[in-house]
Amino acid sequence: MASDKPVLEISNLHAGIDDTPILRGINLEIPAGEIHAIMGRNGSGKTTTANIIMGHPDFDVTDGSVELDGEDLLEMEPWERAREGVFLSFQYPQAVPGLQVGNFLRKSVAAIRGEDAAKGAEFRKTLKDAMTELDIDRSFLGRYVNDGFSGGEKKRFEILQLMLLQPKLAILDETDSGLDIDGIRTVAKGINAAVRNSDSGALIITHYSRILEHIQPDKVHVLIKGKIVKSGGPELALELEERGYDWLENDPEQSA
Amino acid sequence: MGEIMDSASLYKSLDEPDRADHLWKYTPWRRVHPSGDLNEIPDASAPKFGLTCLDENIALVGISIEEGGVDGEILTESDKVTASFIKAAARDSVFTLRVENNFIASSPIILDIDTGDSDCALHLTLDIGRNCEFELITQISGSAPWTGFLRTGTVGNGSILNDVVIGHTDSGTLLRVDSISIGRDAQVKTGTVSSGSDNTKSDLRYKMADTGGHLNVLGSVLSAHDMHLDHHIEIHHEAPETFSRLNWHSACGGNSRTVGTGMLRVSKGARGADAGQLFHNLLLSDKAKADSIPELEVSEHDVVGCGHGTANGPVDEDQMFYLESRGFDTEEAKDALIAAFLNTTLVEMGSEALHHWLAKHLQDELDDLKS
Repeated sequence: MASDKPVLEISNLHAGIDDTPILRGINLEIPAGEIHAIMGRNGSGKTTTANIIMGHPDFDVTDGSVELDGEDLLEMEPWERAREGVFLSFQYPQAVPGLQVGNFLRKSVAAIRGEDAAKGAEFRKTLKDAMTELDIDRSFLGRYVNDGFSGGEKKRFEILQLMLLQPKLAILDETDSGLDIDGIRTVAKGINAAVRNSDSGALIITHYSRILEHIQPDKVHVLIKGKIVKSGGPELALELEERGYDWLENDPEQSA
Repeated sequence: MGEIMDSASLYKSLDEPDRADHLWKYTPWRRVHPSGDLNEIPDASAPKFGLTCLDENIALVGISIEEGGVDGEILTESDKVTASFIKAAARDSVFTLRVENNFIASSPIILDIDTGDSDCALHLTLDIGRNCEFELITQISGSAPWTGFLRTGTVGNGSILNDVVIGHTDSGTLLRVDSISIGRDAQVKTGTVSSGSDNTKSDLRYKMADTGGHLNVLGSVLSAHDMHLDHHIEIHHEAPETFSRLNWHSACGGNSRTVGTGMLRVSKGARGADAGQLFHNLLLSDKAKADSIPELEVSEHDVVGCGHGTANGPVDEDQMFYLESRGFDTEEAKDALIAAFLNTTLVEMGSEALHHWLAKHLQDELDDLKS
């Protein structure tokens, strides 16, 4: 059921780590069904934004709000946010030796979508279809979570989780890094399948435009030094590809 | 009868072990002696046995438990106090697990040892023939205030054995001694799963007695409440071209303490020996303590490698965040990480069927400790 509220609404978000400010007043709205991209250089605050939405304990929010469908996320624990429908595809997913992929997926789906969604023929079919779509071998289920995975396998596994967990908000942090062009295509197919034609929203974090050739964003935002300095349509990504970030850094008039 | 007298006399002739000794540094003998009166050897009862196959359709032919043992088989490398004490206490409880040459079982064999509810002791000799291939789960349960379990014997040439001992007595003290020789080209995995008893003191010694022997010693130890679980492992490379690895994982919560001490000895003449040991401790509370001391004594220059290491740490916060971001609440995430940590050694202990059985056992133990 679509609501009038945007899926994600960030207002005047200030945050940092150990008294070092990183985000300096971010405002962002993602309506249901839209895919937005945040682009920016390394160190501009992109991953910090993703971690704060997910609730990483290392970061302190000093001002502002983050709401999911009108619910205050900042008051919730990370696992509560996940159960409310926030999903973060990590730039560097954690390895958990000893925890089998199959068990992990089942528990995760049960926690977020309920026990019924994690058992029976329907779960097995959903899992099998998603793995086929992402070109993941069945033997994957017997491996340990991200343990010994190549960079590409880690990213595919993150997108497999996205497809199974069906979140309201998918945040994809540098999902294209470490992937070759075929990998980007495969992963993009998974992201489009999970988000397009749904009431979900997605936030793609990247510093290259190449993944955006396969996932057309509705809006592109440029993050510089912890602030969104410009927003535009998908053409902005191409402009950044041609001109880099200097023109936005040096010319405050260009700021949206 | 002479042998029994010898063990009792030998024990009584020995001085109380010095805590400066590696073996006794964290758990003095007095603490694991049944009464604390060190001259006393208990009149321990024999446990009840059951030998079954995990696959009930498989008949046990070629493997049996017989009364009586083999004289003089304790390794000279073993500690005299622990071995002679249990041997004397187990004077009415001497048995042999006899396995015929070429015995092969496709499903794990389970040896259930029920200690009952009074002091209990057992001396079990492993008499494993040549070219056998099987998995053995030895499960010690019961509510005896004190249990002594001595295993001696030999794994025959060319045999492949996955051997797991599970200590989960309800409470009390478990004193466990292994004194086992590994034959030529034998491949042995010996695992310890320890999650019960108030006090455990294990003194596990293995001798790479002949060329080509291959040994993996693995531990998955879970302590909680006020438990004190101390495992000492020694591997002696006496023969050339022998291989050993020790990988010991302890998860330590509540007010409990785990101790892991290891000794790798490579004797002169054990050319081409390849040995390594690693202790890894997961600390689950501020009050829990974990101590590990790996030690090496290498007298042969021509070795492939000899290494050791130890690592201590709390639950990894980044792993916690990852699981929480996937909907595991804080407790579920922590439990999953404890199980995963112990599973990394558990999975190395044997076949998929064995692992499946052990993983279920471990999950039950985790649930029990929480209740």
